[in-house]
Amino acid sequence: MPTFLTVNGEQKVSMRAPMTPLIDVLREEFQLTGAKNVCREGICGACTVLVDGRPVVSCLVPVGSIPNAEVRTVESLADDGELSPLQRIMEEHDVVQCGMCFPGILMALTSFFKECPHADKDEIRAALVGNICRCTGYERLIDAAVALAKSS
Amino acid sequence: MPATSAITLVMPEAVDDAVAALAEFGPDGAPLAGGTWIMRAPIRGEARRSAYVGLGRIAALQAVDLDDDEIRIGAGVTHVGLVAALSDVPQCRGLVTAAAKAANPAVRQMATIGGNLAAWEFPASDLTPALLSLEAAVELRSPGGTERVSLERFLLRRRAVEPGILVSRVVIPRRPLTTGHARLPLRKAGDYPVAIVSAAASMDGHGKVDDIRLAVGSVEASARRWPGLERALLGARLDPASAQELARERSGDFAGRDSVEAPAWYRVQVLPALVRRAVEAVLASPR
Repeated sequence: MPTFLTVNGEQKVSMRAPMTPLIDVLREEFQLTGAKNVCREGICGACTVLVDGRPVVSCLVPVGSIPNAEVRTVESLADDGELSPLQRIMEEHDVVQCGMCFPGILMALTSFFKECPHADKDEIRAALVGNICRCTGYERLIDAAVALAKSS
Repeated sequence: MPATSAITLVMPEAVDDAVAALAEFGPDGAPLAGGTWIMRAPIRGEARRSAYVGLGRIAALQAVDLDDDEIRIGAGVTHVGLVAALSDVPQCRGLVTAAAKAANPAVRQMATIGGNLAAWEFPASDLTPALLSLEAAVELRSPGGTERVSLERFLLRRRAVEPGILVSRVVIPRRPLTTGHARLPLRKAGDYPVAIVSAAASMDGHGKVDDIRLAVGSVEASARRWPGLERALLGARLDPASAQELARERSGDFAGRDSVEAPAWYRVQVLPALVRRAVEAVLASPR
């Protein structure tokens, strides 16, 4: 049974079985490979996307459970060719290392800063508890996020 | 074990339709709430059912109603939803801490209170001991109607809940309790707690405990109350250090469970310190 979705503003139809994890639909069916397929158990956060505005781990979302939902992936952040303020500050602070965790971190922080634009360092750390960086590049990442919170 | 492509998922919009679908699927079907437990079944080497009844489109399961007598929480309310709905309720301080600290932020957006209670294989639920300390009840919907059972009773029978029965609401009786929730993950946050202690107490006019409920989670296969320690604390002033000592004397009441994260003895060993922290949280909580 098809599942209708709005993905990054575009109408999409998934023909995959309803229990297929959303991450597989995004990457394999829609060729949106920004969200990364890593632990597949909701611990690493690399597949974080927004579903109806809420950050979720797309490895644990059966596509059939979110009919007509609005999905936003990391590809939407610089949709018009302009980096988002979050992406820009991450580039300025030279945060990205291997890049595996990074799309998930951007989506987790995009949602978090919408709720808490002036968050402090501890709040930012707590918001990133579910995003694991194998390069252990946490400090520059946190510094960049703190800089964004201070400037907003 | 059915392949993902062979599993049916239906998404009803009313509780009655969900219950009817569950009854029709029988033992081959199960409810699917936030998905965070069932979607990991293949990783745990567990077989999935051949059909699931998704609950995410049922508005009635998302409601939280408060009146003078009780708090009624729809089974589909997520951890994030609990924090949003109950942060201003003093009696729910411990439950809100549990909901705000469990798992990680994305999982808290997805995992529901009903799913947390129904996933009987999951020993490290934060909500379960918090709800035990509040003497919560669970509403079960079936084609025959609605039945309300105490959470304690539900935990004993949940493994064998018959097909066609759905956890639809969790009900907390309103009492003048102060509550606290102490948990010990191995990292600072983001993983399963080794042990959890939830406490709820009320004091008489002389500051002595006239009602206390303590519940322990993650130490054994299922969360449960600690009646021996409750009796020891009743009638005296609530004091963190003496509560810790009384807990140490009685820690043999728990057997502990072994897992890859922590051995059984360690879970029991940390219990007295968590009792102290839970009591400290109760004393720091607003009345």
